[in-house]
Amino acid sequence: MNHWKISRTVSSLVAAAMLTLFTGGAATAADTPANFPKGNVTIEIWWHEYGPFTAYVKELIQAYKSVRPNVTVNPVVTSSGDINQKLTVALATGTGPDIMDQDASFYELYYAKGVLEPLNLEVFGAKSYDEVLARYTPGGLAAGTFGGKIYALPYQGNSMSLFLSNKAFEAAGLSPVKDAPRTWNDMIALGPKLKKVQGNRTVQKAFDFPYHSPRWEMQMFQPLVEQFGGKLLSDDGKTAYLNSPEAVKALTLWRDVTKATGDPKTTMNTPSNPNQDFIDGRTAMWVTGPWATSQIRQSQLKDGFTVVSYPQVDPAKPHTIVYGWMWGVNKAKPEANKIVAWDFIRFMLSKPEEWLAKAAFVQPVKGVSETPVAKSFPFFDVHMRDVATASWYIRSEFTNEIGQAVGRAIERTVYDGVDPKASLDQAQAEIDKVLKK
Amino acid sequence: MPVAPLPTQAPRPATAPAAPSAGRRRLRLSLSAKQAAFGIAILLPTLAVLAIFRFLPMIEAFYLSLTAYDLVHPPKFVGLANFVSLAQDPLFLKSARVSLTYVLFSVVPVLPLSLGLAVLFNRSLFIKNVLRSAVFMPVVMPAVVMAVVWTFMYQQDGVINTLLGWLGIDPIPWLRSSSSALWAVILIGIWRATPYYMVIFLAGLQAIPADYYDAAEIDGAGDWAKFWHITLPLLKPTTLLVIVMNVIVAMKVFAVPLIMTGGGPADSTRVLPLFIYQTAFEFFDMGRAAAMSVFLFVGVMLFSFIQVRMFTRGDEQR
Amino acid sequence: MSPGAAPTASRRVPAPPPRGWARRAKRHRTVIAAFCTLVGVACITLLPFYWMFSSSLRTMENMFSIPIQWIPDPLNWQSYVLAWQAQDFTRYFLNSGFVAVAITLSNLLLCSLAGYSLTKFHFRGRGLMFILILSTMMLPLEVTMVPLFLIIKQLDWANSYQGLIVPFLVDGFGVFLMRQYMLSIPKDLIDSARIDGASELRIFWMIVLPLCKPALVALAVFTFREAWDMYIWPLIIITKDSLRTLPLGISLFMSSYGTSWDQLMAIAVLGTLPMILLFFFLQRAFIQGIAATGLKE
Repeated sequence: MNHWKISRTVSSLVAAAMLTLFTGGAATAADTPANFPKGNVTIEIWWHEYGPFTAYVKELIQAYKSVRPNVTVNPVVTSSGDINQKLTVALATGTGPDIMDQDASFYELYYAKGVLEPLNLEVFGAKSYDEVLARYTPGGLAAGTFGGKIYALPYQGNSMSLFLSNKAFEAAGLSPVKDAPRTWNDMIALGPKLKKVQGNRTVQKAFDFPYHSPRWEMQMFQPLVEQFGGKLLSDDGKTAYLNSPEAVKALTLWRDVTKATGDPKTTMNTPSNPNQDFIDGRTAMWVTGPWATSQIRQSQLKDGFTVVSYPQVDPAKPHTIVYGWMWGVNKAKPEANKIVAWDFIRFMLSKPEEWLAKAAFVQPVKGVSETPVAKSFPFFDVHMRDVATASWYIRSEFTNEIGQAVGRAIERTVYDGVDPKASLDQAQAEIDKVLKK
Repeated sequence: MPVAPLPTQAPRPATAPAAPSAGRRRLRLSLSAKQAAFGIAILLPTLAVLAIFRFLPMIEAFYLSLTAYDLVHPPKFVGLANFVSLAQDPLFLKSARVSLTYVLFSVVPVLPLSLGLAVLFNRSLFIKNVLRSAVFMPVVMPAVVMAVVWTFMYQQDGVINTLLGWLGIDPIPWLRSSSSALWAVILIGIWRATPYYMVIFLAGLQAIPADYYDAAEIDGAGDWAKFWHITLPLLKPTTLLVIVMNVIVAMKVFAVPLIMTGGGPADSTRVLPLFIYQTAFEFFDMGRAAAMSVFLFVGVMLFSFIQVRMFTRGDEQR
Repeated sequence: MSPGAAPTASRRVPAPPPRGWARRAKRHRTVIAAFCTLVGVACITLLPFYWMFSSSLRTMENMFSIPIQWIPDPLNWQSYVLAWQAQDFTRYFLNSGFVAVAITLSNLLLCSLAGYSLTKFHFRGRGLMFILILSTMMLPLEVTMVPLFLIIKQLDWANSYQGLIVPFLVDGFGVFLMRQYMLSIPKDLIDSARIDGASELRIFWMIVLPLCKPALVALAVFTFREAWDMYIWPLIIITKDSLRTLPLGISLFMSSYGTSWDQLMAIAVLGTLPMILLFFFLQRAFIQGIAATGLKE
């Protein structure tokens, strides 16, 4: 597993200096690299719709025009629920974009299919991939590095932390600071106080695991397994351990937490709006990332929320997860386009503090937390603490299959009362078949 | 292509109307050749569009079912391997079962419901036009909108459970339970399909000349007798259309489960088209996805074929 | 339906009164039963519309209130303004409208021509043609999409109105519908027109088409809805914002921020409105179609 740890001991001075180095490096790289095409080039970039993100990337496209007047960048925005299908058909028919945007968990599959162009070192003013890696936090590029080469760069590598609704806590006579749960057992204990039931209806859940997509179910299941000291996949990605004792413990705990705090029968969350229940005030506690901050502030919750660390089995041995999306370059495009594409990615990512300010996305580059933006960002220290103990989503060519099998296992146990061991045995059998191929 | 000419077409010349007198036959021959040419000519634009945009992709899809194709690398011919592995895949079999359940329970009730409504609307009634428009409304709701609105209504403390509460029924978790989610999706299917086919039945009913009924009335036939002996037999072509279309549409249902449940919980609403979609675009296994749709194709084709045969036996001479 | 009411009615009628009166009473009962049934059905069919509309006017605070708020108070018209401004919906509406009208008109013409050909003309392979046309409906778009896209790419029609319209100029369903309907048009009618010396096209246009009005109206509504609904196909072939259709706009809107239920429902109402208007417009033709049936002999 790839952990990326931000050392809390790094002094702010050193970190600030490094950030200057990084952005400064970007500024010098903006002097046209030697291999940059002289003629007119048009590239297409696709990304998934999310209000603040779309607005910022459009701004970046405008700004890029003044740096590279011979380049035209065509933006295509697609809803997050649809981008996979659109991208897949496009890749299959050779019509895809020059720059693609996808959930980090897809990139191993894309790499295995050979559709990705490795990062252009010359454009990044680097001699080796290690030089680029060094600009990022340890493990920060793990989800985009294959066979020693970098194939994708994250524009967000967000921690997942526990968000609390102050209103819900105060209404129950609790303090969102003092009474915040640290462990899953705390969570179970808080359940009855924050879960509101009217007759046979749950009108407010204390907490709930996500049930709107296997992608999210897996994302929450993985750290639970790791907190019990297990793992879901061997390092080479060839063997799955979906029914290990640790996984069974994780699913059992999942079921128990759900019973005490949640109600899987009520959710309005969807893959494109995973935070809906929390925003609507129907869940008192919810696990999500810093990116949700702007969304939450625009909702009826306004600033009435508190963020605490991801709940643990044992707070002494914390494990969390990173949720990220990355830019990649389409290998099928002409050489000139690929150089321009990497140059535009470099340009876009060169101001991590702007990404944080405008889209609330955290880039896993060194020194972000020392910027003024980070200092004024609500609960940034919590996010950084959590991201320091985080793994990326399991990496496999068969991530989608594994995610679905785990999601089904969870749903069998939670919805149909199937014994966790039996449920996970079935998932293991399903995945063994897939991995054998 | 696994299609053969309709066997029922063969005996037609024998049963063709022998109306024209023998003396005019020679004249008619050349005329009928001319007419046939016209008949073919007006079919051509349809055939051309369908050939390019339907048949070609279909043939390609059939071919892909015999290959290993990951959408990126060129397809590799593997013979029947996809079919063999599908036949042993419990996930595929489960999905096929979900699809069959969906088809059965969303088709069977729609037939009597839509015909019944059409018959009721085919008589004179107080504010008939208003009522008919109201009943027809589900047809005009766009699918994306429908999925969103019903998801909203199906929630635990939503409007449907509130109404059920008035009747003293406990809230049903609708989409959020593996035992009720499929029924929730089926209900929407019925809600949407019934008025759709009602209109088709209504169009069919209006084509029945009124004097048939007048004559029956003089003979003293009651409502039921008229329905059984005039309406139903004369509605045969329409009924065939409704049954076949209903099955095809139900078998291909996709957008609603995709948006509303994504196939869950625990696979309970993963109909075949959804599984095909996931196999192709999430697992990058187009060969397998194509093989699944060949199963689908053969199933629906066989069903339609039997229906067409049953219904066209001997009543095409008109 | 009436069967429940009918026998009771006849049983209660005392024997002596004249037959005409008994029949009328019975008819009355049946009509009332039919009326009540239809009102009940209409409530079920309209509920989602009412809920969509009322939710669009509910404020977010009242959206999930328990007990639920049947009549929104206060009224929140603002949701419509905000939703409309969130995306370029004017453009998406125009695109969807143009594409849907083009597809509908062409289907009306081509499907009725094909249906006419398949019912009133005898030529070899007619049955085969019918089965082939039927078969085009039986593969899901999910598997034919990639090959179809390659054809569109070859024609250089990605990102164009042609790409959105031409593959759907005619549809198996429409042909099937028109064929089944035309089976009931008496052949003598056409034959006698031929004897009168009318040209084939004229017969089709002046005699056959007017008789098909109810079926044409049904076809128009269905085709228009299918085209207005098109989602996966435009998603795949369109990358220009200016060519986006309405369902894509709605989907984009849904994933833009958290779902503002009031605004989402407002867009849902607006997205359904053109369909409702079209239906009411065609409803008149529908009624005329009924009136015309008297002539059909």
